[in-house]
Amino acid sequence: MIKKKIHIENVVRKLRFNNNEMTQQELAELVGVSRQTVVAIEKYKYTPSLDLAFKIALAFDMEIQEVFFINQ
Amino acid sequence: MNIKIRNTLGEITGASIAMIWMYSNLTEASTMTIQAVSKVLAQGIGASIILIIALHIIFNILSSIISGKYEKDIDDERDKIFELYALQASSAIFGISLIIVLVLLGWFNLTIITGLIAITFSGFIASIVSLFLKIYLYR
Repeated sequence: MIKKKIHIENVVRKLRFNNNEMTQQELAELVGVSRQTVVAIEKYKYTPSLDLAFKIALAFDMEIQEVFFINQ
Repeated sequence: MNIKIRNTLGEITGASIAMIWMYSNLTEASTMTIQAVSKVLAQGIGASIILIIALHIIFNILSSIISGKYEKDIDDERDKIFELYALQASSAIFGISLIIVLVLLGWFNLTIITGLIAITFSGFIASIVSLFLKIYLYR
């Protein structure tokens, strides 16, 4: 059993800038959440559900593991 | 200030104003009948609901005027998690208060009027504490 607390990080901010400097509001509207939630995800203050994580990955046309990963 | 914190502050203000109004009308509670006390409490609860709705509208109109744009309030999964934390906190506070009031009523000769007031006020306090918890989570 894995008891160690895992810390999930992401590259959402980087991907936004690489996608025509997409704004947080644009990404939020694309995946159906508030801008505050996108801000929290980018700052690693909130780990999204699997559903939302997939939606974000799909928004950038990438695999989920390319966007969200565990910081070892 | 984001829309979630603004709306939560509106709810805290509305509940606090209603509590203060009820408290000022219940200073003579010991000489009041149970009907009169119940009327004040019911009016206070009603007033708090109306105040919260009115403050939501006023805060959002003022924000739109100041910022010059309309901000949509979208409820997503993060909001639902925070709502759940707030609900847990308010339920715990209200539950503990209810047990304390029942013990006081049963074993320590607390009057039914005081018990009624204490239960209503503990509901308001539980709600206000849970709203502060939401602000802490949204900070």
